Amino acid sequence: MNKPGQRASISTHGRDPVDDRELVVAAQRGDRDAFKTLFERYHRRAYALAFGVVRHQDDALDVVQDAFIKAHKYLDKFEGNASFFTWLYRIVMNLAIDHLRKHRKVKPVELDEAHLEPDADEPLLPRILGGNPGQALMDKEIRSRIDQALDELSENHRSVLVMRELEGLSYEDMAQAMSCSKGTIMSRLFHARRNMQKRLLDLLDHPSAELVEELTGSAAPAPDADPPADDTARSTRAARSHR
Amino acid sequence: MSRPTSDRDPGARSDLELMEHADGERDAAELAAHLDRDPQARAKVDAIHQIGELVRAHLELSADRVHDASFAAMWRRIDGQLVAPTTGVWARVSAWFDRYRSHVITGAVSAGAVAALALIFRPGTPDPGFPAVGSHVIDVRPAALRATPEIDALDTPGGSSTVVINMDDEDGHAAVIWVTDDTDPEAI
Repeated sequence: MNKPGQRASISTHGRDPVDDRELVVAAQRGDRDAFKTLFERYHRRAYALAFGVVRHQDDALDVVQDAFIKAHKYLDKFEGNASFFTWLYRIVMNLAIDHLRKHRKVKPVELDEAHLEPDADEPLLPRILGGNPGQALMDKEIRSRIDQALDELSENHRSVLVMRELEGLSYEDMAQAMSCSKGTIMSRLFHARRNMQKRLLDLLDHPSAELVEELTGSAAPAPDADPPADDTARSTRAARSHR
Repeated sequence: MSRPTSDRDPGARSDLELMEHADGERDAAELAAHLDRDPQARAKVDAIHQIGELVRAHLELSADRVHDASFAAMWRRIDGQLVAPTTGVWARVSAWFDRYRSHVITGAVSAGAVAALALIFRPGTPDPGFPAVGSHVIDVRPAALRATPEIDALDTPGGSSTVVINMDDEDGHAAVIWVTDDTDPEAI
């Protein structure tokens, strides 16, 4: 599944005949084929980032297209201090956030801005889907729930979560990218993760018959079955069901 | 669980600290011993990693589901909108030089050689007492054109033949142009 533009095909193989820097220099001189190679390397990765933020396929495609056009236009500004993708992803991120702002109907309320300290009653939960998230992703219902959970996050929470999980940005880098403090980034990330956990745990608390069958290979439990005693028990059940 | 307070286990770690640890924002050794002693804290760190794996894998799978044709069409649109990069003056000069380096060097060497030859074979400084050899220019134009004739009168009574007569007299040089319908100018 290493399609062009995916992370695995870029960073782990390390056998690209021409490195990004050479391609950028060639593209700066007007070599369109060089720029096309950069596009082929990073378009899917850029799309994943844009889609994670704007949450709509056509919008994400528009963002990626605009990002590459903009990257080409300002290619002379790229000095090679960072990787080409790091530079590109900032363009993608800015365009994605701009897109959200332009199409926003209601200004979101960011409760975490005023309460940077995570609520003591809303701790992180230990485990969610057992020990095999890759297997969990094979389930359409879980993927649908992840989509739903991402949709329900605020724009800022979602942007931080996507930047962190998809590109592994440091808190400091994210603070710069979003023009806010490191503390705000931490708070947004904490709440984003906590909300994702809650949504996914809710799925496990009220699984569909298909999901139970998918996870356990057996029939769904009775609707009035006792709920798990605590989060650990719940996660243990989920983990066991995967084995 | 929030940040450690005085009425709690001084070794307890807040969820924020656990998150920082999970994200590699803290020295890994700092919390390692604590995580070994506290399975609940370890489970939370694992859960953070798991959320990350789910989100990342989910978004990458979402990107995989976009058909190659969509990206091919995107490239065609991008390619149609590409304009020459807005480079600065020096960048453009540099790029131009890089591209035509051999031409520029050849041209510069040729120009230098010509300049050197010109210096070697240039005429000496003229002696004020003698006319410069190079200053004597031989006029090769026809005699009639060396001095512009002054036309005093021009009579053209439907003539078709022309006779030009140059004359030198006491008033200087004069040219007389006869225009006549006579087919034999010699008859004038």
